[in-house]
Amino acid sequence: MIPFVAVVSLRDQQSRTFRLWIPMVLIWLVLLPLGVLLSPFIFIACLVGGVNPFRGVVVMWQIFSALSDTQLDVEHRSAGLSFHIF
Amino acid sequence: MSEHRRQILEMLSEGKVNADEAERLISASEGPSSLSSEPGSASAGKSRPKYLRVQVDSEDDGGHEGPTKVNVRVPMQLLRAGVKLAYLIPAAAMQKANLAMLEKGIPVDLTQIKPENLEELVEQLSDLTVDVDQKDANSKVKVRVFCE
Repeated sequence: MIPFVAVVSLRDQQSRTFRLWIPMVLIWLVLLPLGVLLSPFIFIACLVGGVNPFRGVVVMWQIFSALSDTQLDVEHRSAGLSFHIF
Repeated sequence: MSEHRRQILEMLSEGKVNADEAERLISASEGPSSLSSEPGSASAGKSRPKYLRVQVDSEDDGGHEGPTKVNVRVPMQLLRAGVKLAYLIPAAAMQKANLAMLEKGIPVDLTQIKPENLEELVEQLSDLTVDVDQKDANSKVKVRVFCE
């Protein structure tokens, strides 16, 4: 299942926290028509490069689907950055 | 080797039990997973790892940098998909990459990374733990890579 929400949390050295919820669905909705528009060029580039374009689409879909539950936390002194994909 | 198995083997070596009794005791102590004779069955009882974790702890003792912590959690599905992405690389580019790695002293053949071998690789990752502990005059760094 493709991820639907990404949460970015920033904490500064004064311990003030800023949290941003990013609805990934909107990003997918924007990328989808862009992908459709660029698909002929991507298809031609894949054929020129010797890559199976259909397999490429399947693999990219699998990568996007596997992004769920990816988490990255960085803390330095009292500041911190957290990035979590649901 | 589990503690139960070690004790049973010690009893066998001391002659307290014979070979048949030792085998029955080992089977009884390890449960149903010991009844299968297939090589892959040993890992059947293990839960498959779901995430690859990387943890870095850096403490700066004498400087002004302060402690730094990094925690990364990557789903195993992403690793599987990433390996499949490598499979899409054209053969010519793969050869160039192999040559470049060989020049750097890394004799790895990227063409051998195939999805068929992926599950076996991921299964072996379940037992992977890398601990790096570095200390010097001003800082301590701990790096831990493991699967859970």
